[in-house]
Amino acid sequence: MEEKDCVALMKGITKVYPNGIAANRDVDFSVRKGEIHALIGENGAGKSTLMKILFGLEQPTEGDIIINGEKVVLSSPNVAIAHGIGMVHQHFMLVPSLSVAENVVLGMTPRKGLLIDYKEAVRITEENAKKYDFDIDPNLKVVDIPVGMKQKVEILKALVRGARILILDEPTAVLTTQETTELFRQLIGLKNQGYTIIFISHKLNEVKEITDRLTIMRAGKSVGVYETAGITETEISKLMVGRDVVLKVEKEKAKPTDTVLKVKDLEYTNEWNKKMLDKVSFSVRKGEILGVAGVEGNGQSELVDMLFNLNVPDAGTAQVNGENILGVPQKKIRNMGVSLIPEDRMTYGIAGAATIEENMISDRVDQKKFNRGILFDMDALKKESDGLIRQYQVLCKSDQQQVRMLSGGNIQKVVVAREFSSNPQLIIADQPTRGIDVGATEFIHKKLVELSRHGTAVLLVSADLNEVMELSDSLIIFYNGKIVAYFEDTSTLNDELMGEYMLGIKHQSPEEIGRVCHE
Amino acid sequence: MNDRRMMWFNFVRGLCAILISLFVGMVFIFLCFLFNGATKGNAGSSIVATFGAMRYMLIRPLFKANGAFNSMNMLQVLAAMIPTIFTGLATCVMFSANQFNLAGEGSVMVGGFVAALCGIYWAIPAGIHPVVCVLVAAVVCGLIMLIPALLKVKLGASEMVTSLMLNYVMQYVVLHFLNYQFADRTKGSTQTAAVRETANIAEIIPNGSKLTWGFVVALIFVVLTALFMYRTRWGYTIRMIGINQSFAKYSGMKVGSVIILSQVIGGVLSGMGGGIEVLGRYQTFLWKELPGYGWTGITLAILADNNPAFIPFAAFFIAYLDKGCQLMATYCDVPVEMIDVIQAAIFLFFAARQFMSKFRQKVVVSNTKADLAKQEIPAEGKAI
Amino acid sequence: MGQLFGMIFKEDFLFSVIRITAPLLFAALGSVIAERSGESNIGLEGMMSISALIGTLVSYWSQSWFVGVLAAILAGALLGLMMGFFHLKLKTDIILCGIAVNMLGGGGTILMLYMFTGMRGNTGSLVSPNILIPTIRIPLIDSIPVLRVLSGHSVLTYLAFVFVFLTFVFLYKTATGLNIRAVGENADAASSVGVSVNRIKYTALCISGGLAGMGGAFMSMYYSQGWNSGMISGRGFIALAAEAMGRGEPVGAMWSSLLFGFADAIKNKATGLPGVSSYLISTVPYLVTIAGLVIYAISTMKRAKRHAVPKTEES
Repeated sequence: MEEKDCVALMKGITKVYPNGIAANRDVDFSVRKGEIHALIGENGAGKSTLMKILFGLEQPTEGDIIINGEKVVLSSPNVAIAHGIGMVHQHFMLVPSLSVAENVVLGMTPRKGLLIDYKEAVRITEENAKKYDFDIDPNLKVVDIPVGMKQKVEILKALVRGARILILDEPTAVLTTQETTELFRQLIGLKNQGYTIIFISHKLNEVKEITDRLTIMRAGKSVGVYETAGITETEISKLMVGRDVVLKVEKEKAKPTDTVLKVKDLEYTNEWNKKMLDKVSFSVRKGEILGVAGVEGNGQSELVDMLFNLNVPDAGTAQVNGENILGVPQKKIRNMGVSLIPEDRMTYGIAGAATIEENMISDRVDQKKFNRGILFDMDALKKESDGLIRQYQVLCKSDQQQVRMLSGGNIQKVVVAREFSSNPQLIIADQPTRGIDVGATEFIHKKLVELSRHGTAVLLVSADLNEVMELSDSLIIFYNGKIVAYFEDTSTLNDELMGEYMLGIKHQSPEEIGRVCHE
Repeated sequence: MNDRRMMWFNFVRGLCAILISLFVGMVFIFLCFLFNGATKGNAGSSIVATFGAMRYMLIRPLFKANGAFNSMNMLQVLAAMIPTIFTGLATCVMFSANQFNLAGEGSVMVGGFVAALCGIYWAIPAGIHPVVCVLVAAVVCGLIMLIPALLKVKLGASEMVTSLMLNYVMQYVVLHFLNYQFADRTKGSTQTAAVRETANIAEIIPNGSKLTWGFVVALIFVVLTALFMYRTRWGYTIRMIGINQSFAKYSGMKVGSVIILSQVIGGVLSGMGGGIEVLGRYQTFLWKELPGYGWTGITLAILADNNPAFIPFAAFFIAYLDKGCQLMATYCDVPVEMIDVIQAAIFLFFAARQFMSKFRQKVVVSNTKADLAKQEIPAEGKAI
Repeated sequence: MGQLFGMIFKEDFLFSVIRITAPLLFAALGSVIAERSGESNIGLEGMMSISALIGTLVSYWSQSWFVGVLAAILAGALLGLMMGFFHLKLKTDIILCGIAVNMLGGGGTILMLYMFTGMRGNTGSLVSPNILIPTIRIPLIDSIPVLRVLSGHSVLTYLAFVFVFLTFVFLYKTATGLNIRAVGENADAASSVGVSVNRIKYTALCISGGLAGMGGAFMSMYYSQGWNSGMISGRGFIALAAEAMGRGEPVGAMWSSLLFGFADAIKNKATGLPGVSSYLISTVPYLVTIAGLVIYAISTMKRAKRHAVPKTEES
């Protein structure tokens, strides 16, 4: 690679967080002027971190950054902007009630005397919009414009502040097909004007469509740079999706029996008009672990929300043992024997300032065995929480400690202890071991298998390939709000095959998928 | 994190907040003397006078001029705690659920009025009479609190604004009935007829200190409220809702009902406080405006960190300071409202989470070093 | 009742509505600015009380109403700064800061009065006509029937309504106003383009205090012609409801304030009538406030139902 051609060069970037997790390991990354360069990888591969470093939001533990031949330290986004780097985040940094023009000039508002020179703001916006061929109405309020246009405003913001290198973080995640086409037209226009674009994505078809080169990341490392034209989607998926270490889980073969959870034709369109659940149907049986695999953002989160009444679908049914669980109060859902390990453990899973004991028993305070008339049976509660702490090996000083003081793994063990110990018929586990240490992970996996073999139905939603492939007995793969594959026996799967389905390269026939309903 | 170290840190921090507040008070006292008192214009003697005044505020409640223990003062301090313990408990319960319901003020007045009326017009044997009066007062106030509570839960209307408005409504409604229906026209100032003997709450030691058995009742309720908050499922739910409402909902708790419950309990306790105070301290109902115990209750809840068990201590502290300010007003000519300024300062510093944060950092760092040795060290695991 | 109804359409009633609304309006505008920056200022009541006192005292010492009003505004702004300090630097909850300011406005004012003048409870003899806020007669208008209710108000009364316009211009046409709105709606977006969130919040709280100061000056230097403890009687709190009902817009706050001013004026008028309890009538403005809030809450709920927001996902 000719270093002279590179408008941005990152050498030997390593980023280790204080809790010991290494997000980037000795990564080399470079982009040439005037190219559209894709940065591909699964969730957790390290691409977001790498770009955060490039935009000055994070500092590398080791490594150098060279912009236009000059070594720089990007200590903050303002410094990055000064060097001509702009970033468009997944969650827009826009103020809804302000107009497009006001958002574009925020922080550098032109003035006429004491007042805003609104005409000038509009002029700046229009001039730049024209220059880059963006079709934007500067006077519309951001709250009223569609998502595609919001994104254009964000890009315009970066360009107006002098960005020559644009980093787009999963830009098409929120766009419809037409908006995506429009965006691509825009990006090619920018490229032709000499701008450099870094395109973070895991949507292979899009990457193939508009990028010149691509860098693939996996488990914090770069696994290579390729000319887009010279590599197939299947080859990309092989490099992208794969486990370096296969963590085997000991388990007997599943002997599933009756259906516990029955989901039929679930549909949901989100506030940005994106169909996140498209006639999803499946069933989970007693004694089996059904995995839900797929790259995040393809509808899995929404599915879990529906099943625990944190959101309501537009259409469809879901039943546990014949009883409806949609739109039903959480108490009733729990009484039906459903437990949830939530994806966001700090918001839903625990009350941080409360004690471990208080967190352990939050779902069972009404039970007779913990109450003597009006008052709690404090001994019974203590016995319960101490027992759970022991059983689940929660490392703490006492059950009176504040739960937020524990390490991530131990916090999750508290959540798991509570949810597993309520004698559930169905456990929904959403990213149950994300961000926690190996020891806690192994423990939670073992417990899940134990419960499953004792007859509990388990729905395991996980973006972690290891987890979902090793732990599940059977699995379904989500892509674009649909189930695109069902594998009854995960022991026959390999990473390549998984990748192809997860990235939408392949999909099964409706008959094959329909088998997951066990009708 | 070493919990004991944090407790000690919080204690020191609280102490500093109080000391700063007292210092702020001293500055104002100094200015009072400098601008207006006997030592007008003279900075030096003003400072001396300030210290003299501080002696009245801090020491006189406890010790007489000759050094003897001032039992009358101390009994009066205890008596002053009666209504504030109740409003402090009420605020603890409501704030624990994150409900900023400020209608305790009005509830005290309504409670006192209702209790007085029951004491005047109902003939019930002694012993039971005050109990009935206070219970009725408590129930009425609890029901009134349904208004801001339901508006909050069903409509999302700010309980703060509705409760503030309700205070004024309650005040004027009571005044209306006081002046139009129940005034004793034979008396000079506006008041009701005399409350019957049977309804009066007697003093523990009949010496005019006004320390009635209501004090014992107050302490009993401290215990009951503490038990409620920490030993029952409803108190537990209230606290969890206050800590993390999403968690409470996800765990299956009935968030809406319990929010309403917390405010109703607040009303019940405040109303009780008002009733016990009127029946204990006075022979008739004669409040012509909101008595102010509700706001004091908020100060107590802040000092007690919403823990009912600490309310008596906070109440004693504030009542002591209040007595001190009264003495200071009588003997040194400093306005008694100094207590409000000191309370406001205590408020601001005590509740400031970042106050002395650098010091806390040091405590945290030394703790973490010790704890790291014990904690699991994550293996080089998954990338983010 | 019919008597009451007939009174509403008399000119002196309309005149009094305008007069009564003005201080509410100042406070409501103060609430608007603070809320738009993302902070609830519930200390308006205390701010008004303190500024009212300062205004009276300074106007007495300087024998100039103008200097008095300026001092009142400054006092309010400083209180806003103090609230900002405790909330933004020391991280005291903004609601508690407001309650503390109200406590200062309660007993602290009596203390201050004594400290500076040796007087207790009210400013009685300090006030003389020459240091009150002057009224203005508008020459032509004051001979036209009905319209003449607009003439003869104090300087600050006119200023209150002018400030509705000024607040609108400030919020929507100046860069600082733009920043305030940005910080209030999406502080991350604002800080991502270099706007200092804390500095903006300090500014908003100061302006909020200054407006409350004008409201306080209005009360003591015109409306009640002197300061006495408890004179604000909840106007600072009603202002919060007016802001909410006005949906955070200056003009909306004006209409809400007029509504409450109207209720208050009815109370004043009806108080003199035979058979009418002045106490029950006094509850009217506060009941109207609660009713207004209920209506506002219902309409907000209906609006929210149409834009149901799903859980945002992190990737």
